[in-house]
Amino acid sequence: MTSPLRLLVNGVPVETPVPPSERLLDTLRWRLGLRGTKEGCRTGACGACTVLIGGHPRLSCLTLSHQVGEEPILTVEGLESDPVGRAVMDVFVAEAALQCGYCTPGFVVALTGLLKEHPGASESSLLEGLQGNLCRCTGYSSIRRAVTRLAEPAP
Amino acid sequence: MALLAPTRAEEAIAELLDGPEGRVAVLAGGTDLLLDLEEGKGAPEVLLSLHRLPWRELRWGREHLEVGATLPLAELERDPELARRIPGLLEAVGAVGGFALRNQATLGGNLVRASPVSDLIPILLALECEVGILGSTGERTIPLEKFLLGPRRTVLARGELVRRVVIPTLPSAFRWQRVRPANDVSQISVAVARTPDGEHWRIATAGVAPLARRARTAEALLRGRSPPEELMVSAAAGAAEEAGVRADKRATDTYRRQLLRTLVLRAIRAVPVGPTGDAG
Ligand SMILES: Cc1cc2nc3c(=O)[nH]c(=O)nc-3n(C[C@@H](O)[C@@H](O)[C@H](O)COP(=O)(O)OP(=O)(O)OC[C@H]3O[C@@H](n4cnc5c(N)ncnc54)[C@H](O)[C@@H]3O)c2cc1C
Ligand code: FES
Ligand code: FES
Repeated sequence: MTSPLRLLVNGVPVETPVPPSERLLDTLRWRLGLRGTKEGCRTGACGACTVLIGGHPRLSCLTLSHQVGEEPILTVEGLESDPVGRAVMDVFVAEAALQCGYCTPGFVVALTGLLKEHPGASESSLLEGLQGNLCRCTGYSSIRRAVTRLAEPAP
Repeated sequence: MALLAPTRAEEAIAELLDGPEGRVAVLAGGTDLLLDLEEGKGAPEVLLSLHRLPWRELRWGREHLEVGATLPLAELERDPELARRIPGLLEAVGAVGGFALRNQATLGGNLVRASPVSDLIPILLALECEVGILGSTGERTIPLEKFLLGPRRTVLARGELVRRVVIPTLPSAFRWQRVRPANDVSQISVAVARTPDGEHWRIATAGVAPLARRARTAEALLRGRSPPEELMVSAAAGAAEEAGVRADKRATDTYRRQLLRTLVLRAIRAVPVGPTGDAG
């Protein structure tokens, strides 16, 4: 059984039939073709599926699509046209803050959300905000370098 | 499975009372429930989502904070008053999962889940918070300690929902130990609160017994806003004995007892000495 669902994804209104128990992660990836958002664990533990809902980082694997309502969704595909998202991605590229890249959408989306909510956030608060994001490859040092560059220099 | 998202409490309650037991599952942030469903635990016909109910209050009174059942935990962290007025609650909220999880997980869901390793239950026990329960005949309020019956068991009857939590504003502290800082389960967590005059101290521990509990004998040893060091040490040792320590896959009982003593002592010392928790 599916019912029609309207979402606002990366500024674009979309309408698609979605079963009531479908996770936002699956709607994004398999109905809307937005495969940038990754499935790491499907249990809330890795952060790879992070998207912004109403500007706040959320786990799309633990969110039902029908629970989103009218709140705008921003996925990694939408970061390109967002000034903060653009800046975050540029720094990740400059610092080579990825290896396989599987965790990267979650990191850059989460950082974009944190920086939009707290422009000029400190390095420690950004790192704290990323505690729920796991990376299996980089050893984190390149990600930390990127975070250092995105944070305001400590006073 | 159908998803219903009523906008009025009466509709939600009526839906819960309709049809056979187990037909409806209540959905708040979904961070526990969706995992259960994915694992095949329960097969409800209806998911009753609370997200459209206007239950997201965060209201400061002179001596209390009232939190609506469906307020995401991250909204508590965003409140500029919390660090000063209920420091232990801010520390405990920050220990739950990662930031994205806290943008959806709710206080109501955490209490109803009644997990032995909840990071919120010990601090709310130490603060002696009250739970507002809404049913078809209105709202009743009971102390959290009476609300919790055991792991995953509460006094909620069929047709009842947690509506709000009322939390006294008290000087307090929370300490935990786990392998990874986020998205891991605390091996131990400890909460301490005291009344503004220092007359009463309260200690609660979790991660040891089947459910978080108070350590009443130990807390009775403490008096005053900054008790003498030797009493703090005795209270910490007493709390470790009283906690009902058990071994499991996460830690041995010896390790837990030592850890408890250390964390209780740290938490007692971390409670602000000043009379916070007032309206000033
Ligand atoms: C990766 C991960 C890490 C976690 N880490 C921690 C941690 O460190 N510390 C910790 O304490 N917890 C942790 N949790 C659990 C925590 O997210 C939940 O306990 C959360 O607070 C539950 O809230 P929810 O809104 O998501 O509940 P839901 O999953 O929506 O509901 C939980 C249960 O409560 C019922 N329910 C919900 N709201 C109400 C209501 N108002 N009235 C009646 N019944 C209701 C539901 O029917 C369900 O049975 C973690 C979870 C995950 C997935
Ligand atoms: S896939 Fe959602 S947190 Fe891992
Ligand atoms: S770059 Fe491979 S998981 Fe992070």
